[in-house]
Amino acid sequence: MALFEVRNVTYSYNSRQKRPSLNDISLKVNEGRRTAILGANGAGKSTLFYHFNGIFKPSAGEVLYNDRPLDYSKPALRELRNDICVVVQNPDEQIFSSTVESDVAFGPMSMELPRDEVDTRIREALDMVGMTDYRMRPSTQLSYGQRKRVSLAGALAVRPKVLILDEPTAGLDPQMAREVMELIDQLYCAGTTVILSTHDVDLVYSWAEDIIVLNHGELVYSGEPEEYFSDPEKTAYAGLARPHTFSVNSYVSKMRGLEESPYPRTTSQFIAKMAPEGAKGGHVRIVPVKEGTEAVEKTGAVGAYGYRAKKLVEAKGIEVDYMYDALEMCMQDAVKSKDSVLYCDEVLVDMAVDRIRSLESFGIKAEVIM
Amino acid sequence: MSEQTQMDTLAYSSRMLGWAPLGKLLFVIAILIVNIATASVLVTFVTLGIGLTLMAYSTNFKIPFIIFLAILEAFAILIFGAGVISVNGTDTSTVIWDTDFLWMHFHMTVDSFNKAWLILLRGTSGIAVMLSFATSTPIPHMSLAMKQVHMPTELIEIVVLIYRYAFLLLERMEAMWNAAHSRMGFNGARTSINTVAAIAVGIFIQSTSLSDKSQIALDCRNYRGYFPVFSEPAKTGVKWLIVIVVAAVAIYMFGEYTADWINMAHLILGVE
Repeated sequence: MALFEVRNVTYSYNSRQKRPSLNDISLKVNEGRRTAILGANGAGKSTLFYHFNGIFKPSAGEVLYNDRPLDYSKPALRELRNDICVVVQNPDEQIFSSTVESDVAFGPMSMELPRDEVDTRIREALDMVGMTDYRMRPSTQLSYGQRKRVSLAGALAVRPKVLILDEPTAGLDPQMAREVMELIDQLYCAGTTVILSTHDVDLVYSWAEDIIVLNHGELVYSGEPEEYFSDPEKTAYAGLARPHTFSVNSYVSKMRGLEESPYPRTTSQFIAKMAPEGAKGGHVRIVPVKEGTEAVEKTGAVGAYGYRAKKLVEAKGIEVDYMYDALEMCMQDAVKSKDSVLYCDEVLVDMAVDRIRSLESFGIKAEVIM
Repeated sequence: MSEQTQMDTLAYSSRMLGWAPLGKLLFVIAILIVNIATASVLVTFVTLGIGLTLMAYSTNFKIPFIIFLAILEAFAILIFGAGVISVNGTDTSTVIWDTDFLWMHFHMTVDSFNKAWLILLRGTSGIAVMLSFATSTPIPHMSLAMKQVHMPTELIEIVVLIYRYAFLLLERMEAMWNAAHSRMGFNGARTSINTVAAIAVGIFIQSTSLSDKSQIALDCRNYRGYFPVFSEPAKTGVKWLIVIVVAAVAIYMFGEYTADWINMAHLILGVE
């Protein structure tokens, strides 16, 4: 089902613009799919998603949310923006309260929720982004990465149905970037539709189910990533490059006389595809983390996936080998016939199982033990 | 962290941070009024003592260097002003000094001399008391105090936004300043002036662009024209009012009682 439908939308910031920022664009964003909007700088990515929450009104065409055209009246927009949260690229544009607590509280307080509920949401949101200790800190005294986390916490506290993130990993160190992506996975698994805009093709390729590619306000492509990246000319036209995993798979498959398909999206899938025939996979023991979860016997490398899992291993003093990107690292171990233990947030378990089982389609059967 | 944000850090780490901001504000205002309501020099010393004691308790006198420079500047202005007042005596009291220099006529009397000292001491003690408030009350707390006295919401929101974005622009200015330094932008007086002007223009342009983007961000977060407050600061209760009234009345009475005790002209120059 289409969550958003954009029908022939044209938008210009002012009448003097020679080329509109969005030019006769039509596309659909499906509910419950991981969607990424791709494009070079100035492609119109931000302009497009500001149409989703009614910040911009199209000069021509219309935007539909849940099959209904957007209503631009004040009360309707207020309701819409309770459903759809946008996290802008630069946290400084978004954080306008003086302390971390007051900024995270801004959304829930504006929704006129009871004080206890606001407090719960602040605690939970800060916990999710690992900023609990900074709750009373002035926002002026935070580093860029911390501000980025706070801006995300501000959106999480609203508990939106749709979360739109503009360049969520820009300016973050690799570990923090992976943590943010893990958090995004967690939200997605909990039922939030996540749309992210970026020009990081590697990130998109490993994460997105659908991509929307824009170039100078024109729609270049909308659909699954493989089809788009298979066409180097199309990719170059939008000012993008092919994802590293995609390129390597393409070259190595040709060299070995293999089919390019199935397309590996992660390193573990790629290694599985290239592994010698008949190679055996290792076991991944998944420990769903919920209240009262205890440590299990260490049968291999240990990973923590999800913020609750990270909290658990810290609280129980469990020795962890993979604190970041733990699922992928355990998958890589499985491809190398090694066993591992993955402490995993309950909400992420299904996705983790699916991803580990996906290795089978690349030639290695990794066993999941629950 | 830049020098400019140190004052903010200082306020947030103050021992007096948890005190009711409105109580602190009213206390300072009351002391300042009493300070100028009496003609006693001793009252200025009492006020100075209160200011310094509060500052010592609040921050252990860890004043950021840039603020220290600002205090020195204010003090220099006070000295200059007091000097001007002292040589412009028009009364008939004993003349201490009377001379002409170029087109100027200097006429210092015992009264003008005493008045100049009183103003200098009042100013100095006033700065100390106000600093004790400023170093213990972050702007957001002050805005909440403003809210408690029912000042217009628009005004309070503007104060909060200016406070927030001033720091951002200061950060950007610092980055531009460092970039200019690394490009020999301060090589000679002429270049320095050009660089400072370019930075000022750049900051101005950035501030307008930032305001546009912030407007969008505000809309994205469902801004309804006010910033809701989650953690209210301590309220100004009856205890605060008692302390304020008692302190103000006591100092005033003391001032009235000691009004003629100290004659600065006599104390310093031996002139009655």
